[in-house]
Amino acid sequence: MIHVIAGATFRETVRARAFVLLLCFYAAAVMLSRVIGWISGTDGHIVTTNLVMSLQSIAGVLVAVATASVLVHTEIQQKTLYTVLSRPLPRWHFVVGKFLGLAGALVVGQAAMLAVGLLYLWATGADVGFPLALGGILTIAEVVVMAAVSLCLTALAGPLLAATLSLATYALGHAVGTLPKLMYHLHGGFQTYVCVTLASAVPDLSRFTFRDQAAYGKMLPLGEFAVDLVYAALWIALLVAIAVAVLRRKQL
Amino acid sequence: MPAIVSFDKVSFSYRGDWLNRVHALDDVTLSVPEGSAYGFLGANGAGKSTSIKLLGGILLGHRGAITLFGQPLGDHRLRARLGYLPEQPFFYDNLALDEYLHYLGRLSGVAPAGLAKACDRVYELLDLGDLRKRKLKSFSKGMRQRFGLAQAILHEPSLLVLDEPFSGLDPLWRARFKDVMALERKRGATLFFSSHILSDVEDLCDHYAVIDHGRVLEQGRLADLLGQAPLELTATGPAPESVAVAADGTWRLVFPEPERVARLAALPAGASILRLERQRVALQDYFVARIRDSHGAGKGLGPAGKHLQHADPPPRNRIS
Repeated sequence: MIHVIAGATFRETVRARAFVLLLCFYAAAVMLSRVIGWISGTDGHIVTTNLVMSLQSIAGVLVAVATASVLVHTEIQQKTLYTVLSRPLPRWHFVVGKFLGLAGALVVGQAAMLAVGLLYLWATGADVGFPLALGGILTIAEVVVMAAVSLCLTALAGPLLAATLSLATYALGHAVGTLPKLMYHLHGGFQTYVCVTLASAVPDLSRFTFRDQAAYGKMLPLGEFAVDLVYAALWIALLVAIAVAVLRRKQL
Repeated sequence: MPAIVSFDKVSFSYRGDWLNRVHALDDVTLSVPEGSAYGFLGANGAGKSTSIKLLGGILLGHRGAITLFGQPLGDHRLRARLGYLPEQPFFYDNLALDEYLHYLGRLSGVAPAGLAKACDRVYELLDLGDLRKRKLKSFSKGMRQRFGLAQAILHEPSLLVLDEPFSGLDPLWRARFKDVMALERKRGATLFFSSHILSDVEDLCDHYAVIDHGRVLEQGRLADLLGQAPLELTATGPAPESVAVAADGTWRLVFPEPERVARLAALPAGASILRLERQRVALQDYFVARIRDSHGAGKGLGPAGKHLQHADPPPRNRIS
């Protein structure tokens, strides 16, 4: 039954006006990025490429947090889950199906953004190579991880708090990548222990920010790319499992 | 008849503000016979919807035992034989009716090959065929209610649990809903529904329960309740003492069923019986009186209850 729920959630999400508007907003922002490139005073193509790739990430993370943090809450508020939960399916099918449907919509939206972005860069004469595509795919993985973070947090808190904590996790997730250097300077002790604990409790999102190097044409080893995707999949599985464990017994 | 649904001392409370809990059900015990049409009556906030949501697996954490089809409620597979219409149903706005019905049909376990046929059946019953491609966000309240019933009966369930099924319907569609519910019953389904429109319960049900403040006040067969009404004799000719004779020469006598033989035998010689009929106990009257009794002469009923206390009794209908 998971695939049936995922399919309906996917269709409902991609047809939502906000989803289509976001894609339009992204396309418009991509067009405007060239202006920043012109006035940057440096290599305009590098700046434009950086901007286009960053826009995909920012738009994706915002929409992932906004939609995942209300994914179950909206069903409760609008009482749409009544006709679903009264069917012969366990609750975890509902939670996993909802997440997979949303993740599918996010992946499609992100893929569309990536395609539009790369097409625009190619049309404006920028160097569009394989590294940019890998960078874009890692951004998609990051967006789905952030959706899982929001779903997990919304199982534990209200949607507004979950969205706020998700954005804090996003900031923290990008900082934990620099932790080894920080630990080296701290030389052990309590601070190191705190830092290591913190790092292990938050997904290291810096793994997915290859877009900056990709803009300069730097290639990511495919083995490292695969490890990053597995890392994302493991975090997603863990976060969704926590959400399921909480929502299975929670009064909806 | 074996019970298709039974509640045995079921209690349930919601989380209120801070540490307070709101007690919605308090030792509810009821039994819905298989094949019956069971009307669940109660004022707003009495506990009807909570009971129905527990049955539908939407609410968790009750105390006491609930059985569905003779099995403890916990097994989700039991709900394959359950059709549920929530009160004021809401649906995904961006899905078309046809898509939504296919979606819910698949969740109910209808085989993909049989879905089209099942959908056609409910389209015809509820006149939804022309709307099948329309998105649900464009539906009126009545249309949503029709779709709500359609999704509840789509998989031909053994038990139909309907929460205020007539809400938001015009008189024509109320009549149509009754027809559909009667057809479902004829098919073999048991009906369990709550309603504020007591005449609809009278028309459809053979069993009833009255719930108030989370407690079942009484339950039983509707025929037994209505059969408790006294008899009314209308006659002409010599009247018994202390009976007033109308200007047209007729007089009336009211007495309970057990006194029927003695009263008829004691009629004065020459009296001519025009009619002997049972006074109808309108469920509406009974319901109001029962709830009023349970509140102790209007206590706890609030402004509406106090108004009811002083209201004239509604006119009694008669049946021949």
